Amino acid sequence: MSRSPSLPAAAAVGLRAPHVREVLATRPALPWFEVHSENYFADGGPALAALVRIRAEYPLSLHGVGMSLGSTDPLDRDHVGKLKRLIARVEPAQVSEHLCWSGVGGRSFNDLLPLPYTEEALDHVCARIARVQDLLGREIAVENVSAYVAFPDAAMTEAQFVARVARRTGCKLLLDVNNVHVNASNHGFDADDYIAAIPCDAVTEYHLAGFDAKGAQLIDTHGAPVAPEVWALFMRTVARIGPRPTLIEWDTDIPAFAVLEAEARTAQRILETAHAVAA
Amino acid sequence: MPSLRDLQLQFAAALAEPASPRCAVTPGDDRLAIYRVNARANYRNALAATHPVVKRLTGEPFFNAAVDEFVAAHPPVSGDLNIYGGHLAGFLEHYAPAAKLPYLPDVARLEWAIDDANRATDVPRVPDAVLAALSIVAPERMPNVLLVLDVSCRLVASEFPILRIWRANQPDRSGAERVELDEGGILLLVRRDADGVALESLSAGEHAWLAALARGSTLGAAIGAALAAESAFDLGAALRAHIAAGTVAAVVDR
Repeated sequence: MSRSPSLPAAAAVGLRAPHVREVLATRPALPWFEVHSENYFADGGPALAALVRIRAEYPLSLHGVGMSLGSTDPLDRDHVGKLKRLIARVEPAQVSEHLCWSGVGGRSFNDLLPLPYTEEALDHVCARIARVQDLLGREIAVENVSAYVAFPDAAMTEAQFVARVARRTGCKLLLDVNNVHVNASNHGFDADDYIAAIPCDAVTEYHLAGFDAKGAQLIDTHGAPVAPEVWALFMRTVARIGPRPTLIEWDTDIPAFAVLEAEARTAQRILETAHAVAA
Repeated sequence: MPSLRDLQLQFAAALAEPASPRCAVTPGDDRLAIYRVNARANYRNALAATHPVVKRLTGEPFFNAAVDEFVAAHPPVSGDLNIYGGHLAGFLEHYAPAAKLPYLPDVARLEWAIDDANRATDVPRVPDAVLAALSIVAPERMPNVLLVLDVSCRLVASEFPILRIWRANQPDRSGAERVELDEGGILLLVRRDADGVALESLSAGEHAWLAALARGSTLGAAIGAALAAESAFDLGAALRAHIAAGTVAAVVDR
């Protein structure tokens, strides 16, 4: 299989297990697909076979949820090896991971846990990203995560941390606009200041998803439509940074595929109009 | 300011054990409850996806409580949730609230075997090559050969009718069907074929024979195990059937 064509700067949806059969049967007119890498780590079986068929017809992005880039435990070489084999098998256009940690002391929490924005954490996560890029033999994109707590004694803002990671490692950024909104609301910063601190040329993809409000706390559930405030922030982000491949993510209470396609159409209109306004 | 390592260990301890010493986060470590709730939901969803029949048999509240206890007893070590859950059957054997459902651990075992078979490496089936390899083994060497099973093969044995229980609790079934627990146990071969995972009921001899081969016993020792389990075990029929189906994937004569 030759390398996937690059992802077009157009809106797509994250492909989850309940929709795979429908996508294979109907071949929806979507520009590309993204899947969670770990769901295809097996060396065979029906899930991988379906992904290979999808990859034959659409550009593909692999999005990891379990690499634990920021953990102080040793890098899970077995995990990296499985990702590398999957990359060799499907030749994706893009490979991304989360700028977070997921476990420590040999215990995984299988969640996206926040890093402190310190020089030590920056050094550590940059070295790990460089190591992963070396082992994979390719560049990855890293995604900003939602956080419900912050650590005292931060040496920089989250946006500065993200920007410095990209500059130092040469990795790309997957900018999750919903996560920026959630964190701005939960931690009381200006989402537009955040976007302004992000190096435009490092951004290779946007993510959009829905959150739940629990009192004053916003929880990044990936279980709801994209909120109006997030559409608005997305519009301002595209105007500043430019159009990029954009993904609608929905992971809990997954609705009919048509609902996701409708969300992608909205994102597509914004990509086209915000770009035109900026141009 | 603690080191990143200490900070992560402190954070992890606070997540796993809410009563552990406070973790220095803002606005307060009560917010860690959001992570606990998220993680709990992740594990419940992941194990419901691999064990849908266990969930249907026990109902959501029971299942969720069992998963929460399971996660505490067997903390995940991998970032890949797809390979977490193989110990659920063993856990359920000693989970007191499940004591009235003695078949439940075996149902969990069957569901994990199905999931595991689905994730096995793809290997092309070559029954003709296996037959050819067997045909050139010298007769006096025959007891010493090893028959290698396909990598997707899993054997599940239960004293309960778990295949009937499993079938009666598939999504397209009402669940109203009655299965008598004392109708007898079952010996199952779980393996992947071209159409997905196939479940095949085995005789006592076939099961003992395949189990011995799976352990790496020689053909001679496997025949001995089969005959001990079932005096009428028919080696010729078993060989033909399991080579044709792809269960026996290779012959090693050394």
